Amino acid sequence: MSLFEASGVTKRFGGLTAVNGVDFRVETGEIVGLIGPNGAGKTTFFNLISGFLKPDEGDVVFEGASIVGQKPSDICKRGMTRTFQIVKPFAEMTVTDNVLVGAFNHHRDAGSARKRARAVIELVGLGPQADKLGGELTVGGRKRVELAKALATEPKLMLLDEVMAGLTPSEVAGMIEVLGRVREAGVTMVIVEHVMQVIMNLSDRIYVLHHGEAIAEGRPQEILNNPEVTKAYLGDSFLADQEAADADKAAWRESQAARDEGDGSGAPRP
Amino acid sequence: MAPSPSPGPSPAPSPGASSGTLGAPPRFFAASRARIFYLVVLALLLLLPLVSESAAVEAVMPVGLTGSALLHVFVLIFFFAFMSQAWNIIGGFAGQLSIGHAAFFGIGAYVSTICYVHLGLSPWIGMLVAAAVTSVFGAGLGLVSFHYGLKGPFFALVTVAFAEITRLVLLHWEFVGAANGILLPFEPDPTFWQFQFKGKEPYYYIALVMMLCSIALVAWIARSRFGYYLHAIRQDEDAAEAVGVPTKRCKIQAIALSAALAGMGGTFYAQYTQYIVPDDMVVGRVSVEILLGAVIGGAGTVMGPIIGAFILIPVGEATRVIFEGGGTGVSLSTLISSDLGFGEKFVAYLDYLASGGGGGLAVILYGVLLMAVVLGMPGGVLPWLSGLRQRLRRRADQAGG
Ligand SMILES: Nc1ncnc2c1ncn2[C@@H]1O[C@H](COP(=O)(O)OP(=O)(O)OP(=O)(O)O)[C@@H](O)[C@H]1O
Ligand SMILES: [Mg+2]
Repeated sequence: MSLFEASGVTKRFGGLTAVNGVDFRVETGEIVGLIGPNGAGKTTFFNLISGFLKPDEGDVVFEGASIVGQKPSDICKRGMTRTFQIVKPFAEMTVTDNVLVGAFNHHRDAGSARKRARAVIELVGLGPQADKLGGELTVGGRKRVELAKALATEPKLMLLDEVMAGLTPSEVAGMIEVLGRVREAGVTMVIVEHVMQVIMNLSDRIYVLHHGEAIAEGRPQEILNNPEVTKAYLGDSFLADQEAADADKAAWRESQAARDEGDGSGAPRP
Repeated sequence: MAPSPSPGPSPAPSPGASSGTLGAPPRFFAASRARIFYLVVLALLLLLPLVSESAAVEAVMPVGLTGSALLHVFVLIFFFAFMSQAWNIIGGFAGQLSIGHAAFFGIGAYVSTICYVHLGLSPWIGMLVAAAVTSVFGAGLGLVSFHYGLKGPFFALVTVAFAEITRLVLLHWEFVGAANGILLPFEPDPTFWQFQFKGKEPYYYIALVMMLCSIALVAWIARSRFGYYLHAIRQDEDAAEAVGVPTKRCKIQAIALSAALAGMGGTFYAQYTQYIVPDDMVVGRVSVEILLGAVIGGAGTVMGPIIGAFILIPVGEATRVIFEGGGTGVSLSTLISSDLGFGEKFVAYLDYLASGGGGGLAVILYGVLLMAVVLGMPGGVLPWLSGLRQRLRRRADQAGG
């Protein structure tokens, strides 16, 4: 039995099918990458499987039980926790208390929750900032708090939505190291990331999402060599010249370029 | 009695990490200083009734204020501190703005009074019945509101509507005296069990104990998982839900608990005034007075509502004393109709406001206080004070090194 399995998950926003019949499987101990251009539906997929959105169709199974229609907090209790691409620290709480809220998930008693929180803070390297308020942190600090909060809930499966976006190269290196430690601690992960080098190095397996559909799945090397992925996923940044003739696509590209600018994570590079 | 919900036994800063200003020792002393301050105040409050009639106290009191009136002011302070503390649980900690707590207050007063008048049930038991009934009303209100995801102004409007409906029902329900309300039967020789006393002192101590219990309860909540969950909900519900906080359930629990306390406050008020009437109790002014104490003192902090009540109530009472001449002033209408200069007429107008006309001067002053706090000390007096302490310390550090 797989730790996690989604089948035929579909979500429509009016006329737009943001996620279309996606099958997705995670085995215990894996790090699974989830990639795709901006607007491919990655965040929406996370929202669907973590209980923040209800799928129109399809089933989501965690540890053998369907979790469709459950509240995010119940799903978190079961052992699946997500982070937010747009980070949500508790701005008026210290870093310690931010993490403590997560630690209360499996520790009713404040003393043992605090112990857990402290361990997580050390693990993600937030020790020096432990007494700062959530609202006072830099982007790098916020991303770490986001990770630490999720980690403190003691998840079996953690969904990480672009925890490295907006970080400096050295911060990215630090975060990779942290994720390595998290994996050693026995946490299975699904990571969404635009930094290809990170995804290729960390992931055991990768899914590619494009226009809401899972167009490919496989080992990093297989994904890199998959011509369909190269064309679909990298189309707008690499095959731009060939497609320039296509007026429709040019217009679409423009809108995507606008999105990219806002995102700040830059164009994906293999 | 820690002023902030999270100081607890704060984790020792990792070695070499947090340098200088925020190290452990200064914070420890600050906390214990605050504790000593609160203990001294408590000791004085415990002793006050013993000396309230003494010449020394009478000498320093404003004109027209007797020892018994002084006790009355303190009963009001304790009572509103207790009510603000009740509101603080849902309005401060959970951040769900209720502008309808007068409804729970009123229902609580009516429940225990009806139990007493019709069933002969001791108001002490009635107080518990009141708490049970109002917590059900609170939970029901929360269930409906939070099920439909009502937040911010929309939740506030629901609470306003709930209070107004409550007032109208009480106002037209003959069984509970309709607009005339209920006059509690006077006991010439009351027993403790009847929750009636000849002097003000017993009410004073009961209100004080209720306030202390509410502080203890909220202080305990602030350190517990529930308190952290409520604080998380106030700041970001999605983020809270994502890390396992059952946000809807917590909010419903918070409003039920808050309503239960407010209902107990209603019982106390009914026993203290011996007369309950909807148009005096279940009105917007009372709802606002309840929440204002917490907002001014510091919503979501343990001592904020208490500090707020200690600021707010004396201001309100002082306006009454000053502009009504301690309740013995000349009638306002005669003043206005009489042949007076502009300045004297203005005073007369203030008097008119103070007596409750046109909204009342106290309410205007509350508004001014609220604006001063919102503009000058966002978060309330207590957070501002602790921020001030930090700023001063930082400045001292800079000057010193
Ligand atoms: N609540 C919503 N209502 C309507 N449309 C939405 C909503 N959420 C997402 N979408 C749309 O669904 C599509 C998928 O968005 P999603 O955020 O899942 O993409 P993504 O892969 O996470 O992109 P990015 O890499 O930029 O984070 C986009 O076209 C987006 O505009
Ligand atoms: Mg996204």
